[in-house]
Amino acid sequence: MEIIKTGNLEKVVDVLKNGGLVIMPTETVYIAAVDATNERAVKKLVKYKNRPFGKPFSVGTTGLEMMKKHVEMNEAAENLYKTFYPGPITIVCQGKHKVSPGIESEIGTLGIFVTDHKLTIDVIKKLGKPITTTSANSSYKPRPFKISNLFKYLSKKQKAYIDLVIDVGEIPFHEASTVIDTTLDDPAVLRQGEIKLKNKVEVLSRSEEATQNTGKELWQKYEKHQGQRAIVFALVGPMGAGKTVFTKGLAKAMGVKEEVVSPTYDLELDYRLPTTNYKLIHIDAWRMSSDSELAELDFAKKITDKSVIAVEWADRVAEEIRKHNEEAIIVWVKIKYLPRRLRLAESRLRRAKGRSRAKAGKDNDRLISWGVI
Amino acid sequence: MKILAIDTSCDETAAAVTEGTKVLSNIIWSQASLHAKFGGIYPSLAKRQHEERIDFVIEKALKSAFPKITNHQSLITNHITAIAVTIGPGLAIALEVGIKKAKELAKKYNKPLIAVNHVEGHTLSVLARSRNSKFQITNYKFPALAFVASGGTTQLILVKEVGVYEIIAQTSDDALGEALDKAARMLGLGYPGGAILEKMARLAKAPAERAHLHDVSSRQAHYNLPVPMIGQENKFKFSYSGLKTAFYKLIELTKKKGLGKQQIYDLAASFQDKAFQHVERMIKKTIEEYPVKEFWFGGGVSANIELRKRIRNICKNQGITMRLPYSKKLCTDNAAMIGVVAYFKAQRKEFVKDFEKIERVPRAKIIDASP
Repeated sequence: MEIIKTGNLEKVVDVLKNGGLVIMPTETVYIAAVDATNERAVKKLVKYKNRPFGKPFSVGTTGLEMMKKHVEMNEAAENLYKTFYPGPITIVCQGKHKVSPGIESEIGTLGIFVTDHKLTIDVIKKLGKPITTTSANSSYKPRPFKISNLFKYLSKKQKAYIDLVIDVGEIPFHEASTVIDTTLDDPAVLRQGEIKLKNKVEVLSRSEEATQNTGKELWQKYEKHQGQRAIVFALVGPMGAGKTVFTKGLAKAMGVKEEVVSPTYDLELDYRLPTTNYKLIHIDAWRMSSDSELAELDFAKKITDKSVIAVEWADRVAEEIRKHNEEAIIVWVKIKYLPRRLRLAESRLRRAKGRSRAKAGKDNDRLISWGVI
Repeated sequence: MKILAIDTSCDETAAAVTEGTKVLSNIIWSQASLHAKFGGIYPSLAKRQHEERIDFVIEKALKSAFPKITNHQSLITNHITAIAVTIGPGLAIALEVGIKKAKELAKKYNKPLIAVNHVEGHTLSVLARSRNSKFQITNYKFPALAFVASGGTTQLILVKEVGVYEIIAQTSDDALGEALDKAARMLGLGYPGGAILEKMARLAKAPAERAHLHDVSSRQAHYNLPVPMIGQENKFKFSYSGLKTAFYKLIELTKKKGLGKQQIYDLAASFQDKAFQHVERMIKKTIEEYPVKEFWFGGGVSANIELRKRIRNICKNQGITMRLPYSKKLCTDNAAMIGVVAYFKAQRKEFVKDFEKIERVPRAKIIDASP
C-alpha cells in the first residue's frame, strides 16, 4: 500500500487499470474505488469491504453520456439528473449489464453516483470506465471522513487489499448522498397499458362522498356473490383520483367498522367484518414492480378463499389479476379526472338550462367507469 | 440485561442488541438507506428477502455488540437475557419471518420471548441512548405527546407513562411519509422521494410578495395549495388525500407552462410547507387540549430537518421539552427501538407465555401493546 498526499492522476489511473483498489476522497466521504468493469478488481473490493453476498455497489461516471451507456435512463432518472445535478445523489436505474458481476443488484439495477467532484471525474475520464464509489469503510463501520478513522476499523487483512491511498486530510462534513430508485417508473412496469372496458357503466362524481357512494352501490350490485366466488375490485386511476376513497365506501357498505386507510406502505391491510367470517382485503400495487409481487402476497389463495379484494393501481399487476378471470368476479373500476373540455361543455349545458350560477366544472369532478372484462 | 431484538415489519430486515435503553448494536439491511445499500427498494419478494438476510443481520448485530468476544457459538447462551420481536403493525408475510426466527432462538437457547409493537418502538425510540453515553435519560416527564410519522404511520400518541398510551389522532388516508414520497414521485423524482423532496425544497426561491415574511419556509412556499383539515383540527384526524389531489392538478397545470428546475424546487417546498402546516396545527391543538409536558418525535419523517425546526419552535414557545432519536438509524425502521421497548416490558414481566401462541398482528395498535 502506498499513501500519497495529493491526487496524482496518472498514478491513480495506472493502479485502477491494473485492477488495483484506491482509497480516494470525494465531496462526501472517502471511497474505495476499483474499475467497475474489472471482475477481478470487484472481487477484491467485496473482500475488502467484508460484504455479504449480493449487495450491489454504486458507480461513478463522467456524466450523462457514460451513464446512458450503462443504464436505461427513463424520464424519472433524466428528471432527477437534470434537477439535482451535481447531487450528491445516487440514482438507481435498470442496468445494461456492462459492468462486472457483483456491481448491479440481484434484480439487475445499477446505482449511479452523480458527482462533479473534480478528482473523481478526472479519474473516470482518464480511465474511460466507471469506478465504484462505495464508501471506504468496512460494512457496518462508521463512514470515513479521515484516513486515520478508516484505518482504525480495518483489519490487517483488509488493509492488504489496498493498493493506493490518497490522503487529503479530513473531508468537511457534507450530507451523504441520497439514494433514489427510478425503476418503478420504468416502461416495462407501465407497459401493461390501458385497461379497456367493454359494456362499461359511467357515472360522474362531484365529491368524495359521491365516490364513496359509487363504492357502496357497486357492493350492493355484487354482494350476492359473496362467499360463492372471490370478488375483486381492480381500481385504476391517477394519483389522488380517489381509489382509497372508493374503497372506504365499499368497506362501509360491507359493514367494516374500522377506518380504511391507504395500504401503500404495508401493501396489504385486512379488515374483518364484525358479524361474519368474511374479510375485506385492501391491496396497493403502487410500490410493486411486477405481477410476481402480487402473487407473493398469496393472491391465488385469497381467490380460492373467496375473499373480497380491492386492489389499487391494479393496472400495474393486471396480468396476475387476469389469471383469475374464470374463478373470480373481477370488476375493473377506472377513476379519472374529468378533462377540462368536458367540464366546460357540461357547464355550458347547465347554463343553457338556466342554471347560470352553476360554476364551470369543479376540481372534484371525476368520471368513474366500471365493467367486467 | 441484554436483549436481542428483531424487526421485519416491512421492507427492512433489522436486528439489534440493547442493554436497558443503551444501544449496543443496531443493524439494518436497508433497501433504501443513505449508505447506497440499494437493491430495488420495492418489496420485491419481501418474504424471501427477509429469510435470506435475517441470519446474517442477527449475527452481525451480535458480533458488533460484543466485539471482544470471539466465541460466537455461545454469545446468546452467555450474554443475551431475552429475545424481542416485532409482532405488528406491518406486512403479514414479512412479520412472520422475524417472529419465526425469534421463536426458534428463544426455544433453542431457552430464553424468554418479548412481543413488541412497532409503533411503540418508534414512540420510545427517543429514550434510546448510544453505546458510549454516560447517562441514562431518566428525567422524562409525563404525559408526553409522541408524534410518530413514517411511511406507514402518522399518529399523535399521549404517553401517560411508558406502556400506557392513548391515540389522539391518526391519519384517515395516507401517512405523512407516504404523502411526501408520493409528491416526489408525482414530480417525476423516483422513489422513495421524501428525502429528495426535502433537499429540493431547500432550493426554493422566495416569491417577492412573501419576501417580508419572517419564517423562511413559508416565504419559500410559492404555490397555492390547501392546508389539510384547516379549521377542523378539533376532529383530531390527519388527512393527506386532498392535498395530494390538489398537488396532482397543480403539477399538470404547471407542466403546461413549463416545468423547469426552479418550478420543481418551488413545488416541492409548497407541498412540504402545507403538509407540515397541517402537522403544526394538529400539534398546537393537542397541546391546547392536553397537559403535555414533553414532546417526542419518532419515525422516518423525524429525520426531516424542516419539520424538526417547526416543531422545535412550537415546543420552545410552549416551554415543552422536545426529544428526538439520537441517530438517523433510530428514525427509520430499526430493531434497537424494539429492544428499548422490550426492556420496559421485561421490567413489567410481560413475557410471551406460550411460544406457540405468539402471532403476527398486521394491524396491531399501540393501545393494545400492553395487557
